[in-house]
Amino acid sequence: MAMISIRNVTIVRGNRTVISNFSAEIEPGTITAIVGPNGCGKSSLIAAIAGDIPIAHGEIYLADKNLAEISLEEQAELRSVVMQNRNYWLSYSAADVLAMGQSQSSLARIPSVLQALDMADYINQSVTTLSGGEAQRVEIARALIRDSEIYLLDEPLASQDSRSKLRIIECLKRLKAEGRTILLIAHIDKGSLGWCDQVIDTLA
Amino acid sequence: MIKRALPLLAFIALFSLYALSIGAAEISHVWSFILNPFHDVNSASHQIIWEIRAPRIGAAIVIGASLGIAGVLAQGSTNNPLADPAILGTSAGAALGVVTGVLLNIVTIGSIGAVLLAAIGALLATLLTFSLARSALQLITIGIGVSAILTALVGLALSMITRPDARSVSFWSFGSLALVTPKTLAVLLPVMCIGALSAWKIAPTIDLLSLGDESVRHMGFDPQKIRLRAFILLATLIAATVSSVGSIAFLALAAPHIARYLVGPQNRKLVFYSAAIGALILLLADTASRALVPPNELPIGLLTSLLGAPILILTLKKGGDIWR
Repeated sequence: MAMISIRNVTIVRGNRTVISNFSAEIEPGTITAIVGPNGCGKSSLIAAIAGDIPIAHGEIYLADKNLAEISLEEQAELRSVVMQNRNYWLSYSAADVLAMGQSQSSLARIPSVLQALDMADYINQSVTTLSGGEAQRVEIARALIRDSEIYLLDEPLASQDSRSKLRIIECLKRLKAEGRTILLIAHIDKGSLGWCDQVIDTLA
Repeated sequence: MIKRALPLLAFIALFSLYALSIGAAEISHVWSFILNPFHDVNSASHQIIWEIRAPRIGAAIVIGASLGIAGVLAQGSTNNPLADPAILGTSAGAALGVVTGVLLNIVTIGSIGAVLLAAIGALLATLLTFSLARSALQLITIGIGVSAILTALVGLALSMITRPDARSVSFWSFGSLALVTPKTLAVLLPVMCIGALSAWKIAPTIDLLSLGDESVRHMGFDPQKIRLRAFILLATLIAATVSSVGSIAFLALAAPHIARYLVGPQNRKLVFYSAAIGALILLLADTASRALVPPNELPIGLLTSLLGAPILILTLKKGGDIWR
């Protein structure tokens, strides 16, 4: 049984078809990277799986449940999402942002995720003063403290230095070892994706 | 949180006592009446201080606090520093509700009936803005439109009212605390208390809204439901204030910004501090409106602007990174 099943999906944004009749199966306990040039629909595909945008044709199944038929709550229990280009505009501390809307069990996981992502230095700093890479790690941490079957990450490695990249990849590998399913967008060449089990090229 | 607020609360309390001593009527031995509420209870002085000035001071505090809380709800739920109940159409809706009631001879200003009509007007106007807008930003632009229409209708209706108890246009545009009675306070106080508690309760969900609607949905919450709850609450608070004292400009916009400068963006703290700052500014403004040119009164809305705006500008200049 595939954890994420994308069946003949077509996505239209405005009057442009960005994904056309696309299918893919993503097995549980694997890391899958979506690659492809700008504008080829990578982010649209992740957004559709996250339930953010409608699909014109086809179906998406998460853990054998049709995405179109499950509630916001059920989706939130199944998967966590890391968005790209997070813009903070109020001076909450990074710790405040991490805790927003989280369950007690997620809150308990904050210390270990902070350590894994090396965020201790700026956890009490205002998020409006963080660098792009630091803000992105806050966003990644917000997803990783949640206990989900599926993690969807839109360009988690963009704007990270090489040490932070390695830390994030280590975190993802650990999640995989726990049997979680990871789907991410990578804007790097296929050769450096050896740690992924599957690479999907949206242009192919 | 409470400890840091003590100087603020103490100042409000002390200034209230001072405000009791101020007014058009000269009262001899004024402090013996203020410091002992049971001193010479049958005198005219006692009546002036405890039945005219005290309810008015109480109303200034309660209304200022209500406006401060309504502003926090408006800015938090729309994720926009420009938002206030006037921009969302709430205040104009409340005014239209009351004016319609007066025009149809159903209610008099300051009665429970007027509060009910204001609540209906405020709620309908806010829900109209809410249902037409498809994003947080549209809440502002459509709110401005709804507000403009309703304000025009209030102006037209007022020009048709000839009854003497219907107050002048300036009452609705600038607000006035001159006709507050103990009965008004009895309506305003419970509404403010329930509003404050409810706002405190939903404040963490409003924090969550600052992450953007998509992130809220990703965590399994419906951002529109969070917004709707905040809007119903703010409409109720505004209904109580507008129906008893008219629209008081600017306070609901300024108080949350000043509070944010003092204690940061967390909405639980903001509900408390914005209420305290709203109360303080309105108390200062109302006292000034009574004291500057007695026996005449200055329009309170002008004084809240004159007092609040410089503080707002100063805090925004100093606390530049609070809103990016």
